[in-house]
Amino acid sequence: MTDTPRTPSQGTPPQWTPVALSRDLAPATAIPVIAEGTELALWRGRSGRLAAWHDRCPHRGMRLSQGFVRDDMLSCLYHGWRYDLEGQCRKIPAHPELEPNKAICVPAWSVTEATGIIWVSETGSGAPPDTGALAPLRSLTVERSEDALRDHLGDGVVIEFDGLHLLLQGLPQGRCVLHALTGPGLDAAGQRAASHRLEALRTRFEDSEDIA
Amino acid sequence: MKDCWFPVGAADDIPSAPGRETLLMGEPIRLFRKAGQIQACDAEGRDLPVTVAYDHVWTSLGTPSQPIFAIPEAEEPGRRFVPCGHVRVACSPLRAVENFLDIAHFPFVHTDILGAEPHTEVYRYEVKIREEEDEVWATKVRFYQPQAAKAAEGGQEIEYMYRVPLPTASVLYKTCPSKPEAWDVIAIFVQPLTETTCVAWPWMALYDDTSSQADLVGFQQMIFLQDRAILENQVPALLPLDPGKEIPTRADMTSIAYRRWLKSHDYTYGAQLEAQ
Repeated sequence: MTDTPRTPSQGTPPQWTPVALSRDLAPATAIPVIAEGTELALWRGRSGRLAAWHDRCPHRGMRLSQGFVRDDMLSCLYHGWRYDLEGQCRKIPAHPELEPNKAICVPAWSVTEATGIIWVSETGSGAPPDTGALAPLRSLTVERSEDALRDHLGDGVVIEFDGLHLLLQGLPQGRCVLHALTGPGLDAAGQRAASHRLEALRTRFEDSEDIA
Repeated sequence: MKDCWFPVGAADDIPSAPGRETLLMGEPIRLFRKAGQIQACDAEGRDLPVTVAYDHVWTSLGTPSQPIFAIPEAEEPGRRFVPCGHVRVACSPLRAVENFLDIAHFPFVHTDILGAEPHTEVYRYEVKIREEEDEVWATKVRFYQPQAAKAAEGGQEIEYMYRVPLPTASVLYKTCPSKPEAWDVIAIFVQPLTETTCVAWPWMALYDDTSSQADLVGFQQMIFLQDRAILENQVPALLPLDPGKEIPTRADMTSIAYRRWLKSHDYTYGAQLEAQ
């Protein structure tokens, strides 16, 4: 992991990274995400509660984002080791009678969900930015680094551009996710048009020689 | 580790000179058939040692001090020998072998075939290094399996034995569904292409008069493709040899012994050490 996204110049020291739109993470599913160069397993229990952990089972290194969710537990796909929402190992199926050692736990990040956006933070201090009444539209990955995009788009947390409101999530290797929001109350046709503008934006960024 | 034997191809699939190129421990090598003999050379044209065993071609970038390990069952009449093609995996060759030694994953990775919940328990078994042969052995391994083999009908408790005669080769013996007094033999021969990519060459020696060769190969390929989904998602890609990086349990005794054995021999191609 080489690219470390810059801290927003507005200077909110506790950094929260937007990693997904709420609607893209159904209950009882897990997905891999990257925040500040760290690979995380982001998952939602059946109850709707969220967790974001280092994407690695302490047992044999398997990516936990490939695991499966039952109730409010995430199980590793490899050997079925089962972890609760706090990251504590609760069950080792190879030894059903065994109470897992307390030391077996997965390092967790803070995760919170507000107005349809899921944010994570390593330290968890402060609150994520407030996106108010803006409505989540969709997320899309651009083959350009966060730094390069910010040179072009500006440095805010929520960047207004071409009628869209964009949250940036930098990825390693010169890629960046754009989480696009729109003003409230768009009808289906308006959402389609906004979605097309977002795709056009990606094409423009990726085709532009100015945005390296 | 350079002086060990490594599998590099199926014996019935080596073309005449100039032959075919492949990779062994990051080095390009060439395999070819000349005057009826299978030969191998490195990028400079230097001859490499070659031995043909268990339907596969084995070579080495160094000088092997021993002939290839013996599988006595390969001499037994009545067995069917089944080379199962190859599966290329983006993982450490050592992680591929370790996965082969693991039974606790059966219910989760080979669901309803080699294992099924709630039959997840791994009972205590025995592991040791056999000093004379210098091999890792696990014995008295028992596990409930819904469909232990192509020829199996219904679930049964299966007994296993595992041996590791070379850093990237392992042989297992398991209860034969059609002949309970005998063992089926299944091996995995792993070709290290690089430290994080390998080719697995599964091979079997079975008592099975009913299944077609294609079905037997298909069954084994299915199992290895399920394993690949795991192997390509382990972090780090290299196998950690120092304790503390990963947390084993009693079910992992074979893996623990394998890692210790690798470390004691300095078999570290595809491994991660503390110093790194």
